[in-house]
Amino acid sequence: MDRKKETCGMIASGLGIGLLAVALVCFGNPANMGFCIACFLRDTAGALGLHSAGAVQYLRPEISGLVLGSFILALLRKEVSPRGGSAPLTRFVLGIFVMIGCLMFLGCPFRMILRLAGGDLNALFGLGGCVCGILTGVFFLNRGYSLKRTYRLPPLEGLLMPIIQVLLLALLVLAPSLLRFTEPGGGPGGMHAATAVSLTAGLIVGALAQRTRLCMVGGIRDLALFRETKLLLGFAAIFAGALVYNLILNAVTGDLYFSLGFAGQPVAHTDGLWNFLGMLLAGFGCVLLGGCPLRQLVLAGEGNTDSAVTVLGLMAGAAFAHNFGLASSGDGPTANGKIAVLLGIAAVGAIACVNTFRKDNA
Amino acid sequence: MIYIATFFSHFGAIRFQKLCQGRDWEAVLMPVPRNLSSSCGTCVRYRSQSPCPGDTWPREVEQVVQETPEGYRRCYRAENS
Repeated sequence: MDRKKETCGMIASGLGIGLLAVALVCFGNPANMGFCIACFLRDTAGALGLHSAGAVQYLRPEISGLVLGSFILALLRKEVSPRGGSAPLTRFVLGIFVMIGCLMFLGCPFRMILRLAGGDLNALFGLGGCVCGILTGVFFLNRGYSLKRTYRLPPLEGLLMPIIQVLLLALLVLAPSLLRFTEPGGGPGGMHAATAVSLTAGLIVGALAQRTRLCMVGGIRDLALFRETKLLLGFAAIFAGALVYNLILNAVTGDLYFSLGFAGQPVAHTDGLWNFLGMLLAGFGCVLLGGCPLRQLVLAGEGNTDSAVTVLGLMAGAAFAHNFGLASSGDGPTANGKIAVLLGIAAVGAIACVNTFRKDNA
Repeated sequence: MIYIATFFSHFGAIRFQKLCQGRDWEAVLMPVPRNLSSSCGTCVRYRSQSPCPGDTWPREVEQVVQETPEGYRRCYRAENS
C-alpha cells in the first residue's frame, strides 16, 4: 500500500467511524457517546457487578465488537500474533490510572473528539491536557522509557480475549438476568442502541482500526516524534465526519446533536482545570502504554496479551472510580477524584522515571 | 541496499540510529510501515552494504528486513519475538 493510498484509507476510515459514532447516538446511545471506550468499559464493569453505580451498568456490545472486528480482520490477514510479557502488572496499574483520568474528564480520547464534534467546548480543556500528557510521555520515550520486550506466546493466550468477548456476548443475549442493567431513564447506562446495531458498529470500527492502526494518542505522539501526520488525519477525519453528521441531523431532525457552548453539555462538567488534568493523566499514561484505550482493544484482538491486561486494568480502574467516588458527574469532579488524579499523575510519573532512568537502560 | 529495523522500544530505535550514523550510514527514524507490521512502533530505515552495524544484533532489535522490488526480505528476527 503506497503512502497516498494509506492516507486516503485513513481519512475514509475516520469519516466512516465518525458516521457510525453519530448513528449510534441516533439509535439510542447517550449524546456525544457513540463510542467511548472508557465509558463502555465502565458500563461493562458495572454490568458484571464490579461496581454498584446504578446509573452506569450495561454490557456494551461495542466493546466485544471492537475486539472481535480486529481479531477477524487480523485472522484474515494472517496478522494474529499471540505475544506478551512486557511488564504486565505495570500495564495493569497504568490502565487503572488512565481510567481514573478518563472518568475525571468523562470520556476517553475517542469521546473527547466526539464531544468536540458535538460542540462541547469543555473538551478543549481535555484536548489541551491530553496533548500535554502525550508530550510528557514523549519526553520520557526520547530518554529511554521502555517496558522491555514482548515474547511470542502459545496461540491460546492470544485467543483468550476474543473468546472472552464471545462469552460476554453470549451472556448478554442468552442469560441477561445474570447481569446488572441501568433502568431506562436511570442514567447513561440505560441509553443504548440495539445489541445487533452496537455489535455491528463495533465490528466495523474494530476492523477499520486494525487496518489503519488508528490511535487517538498515537496521532499526536507520531507528530511530535516524526512530524508524521497520518494517524492524526484519522483523528481529524473522525472529528470532521461527526461534526458534519451532527449538523445535518440538527437541521433534519430538530433534535440537538450539535450544541456549541460550555454549560448543559451531555454527560460532561464545566470544570476546566480538572478536565485538563484528567486528560493529562490519561494522555501521559496512554503514551507509556503505547496507545489509547481503543488501540489497546484492537491490539488485544490481534493477540497482544499485554494490551489485554491493560484492558483489565482499565476495567479495574472503572470499578475503583465508582466504588471510591472518584468519577465525575454532570455536577463536576469529586474531592476524592481530584486527589486520585493528582496521585495518578505522580504514580504515572514515577513509573515513567523508573522505566526510563534505570541502570540497565544506560 | 536499504534495510528497515523494528524494535521493542522507541529508545532502542534511537540508539540503533546513532549506531548507524556512527558508521556514516544514512539512517532515519519513522513509524513502522503498515505493510511490514500491524504494530505502531518506531523503525529505522537505513542504507548500508550489510544489515548489521556491529558484530552482534543489539538486543532491542526485533526484526530487520531488506527492501527489494518484490517486497520485504527478512534478514533477522529476535528469538521468541
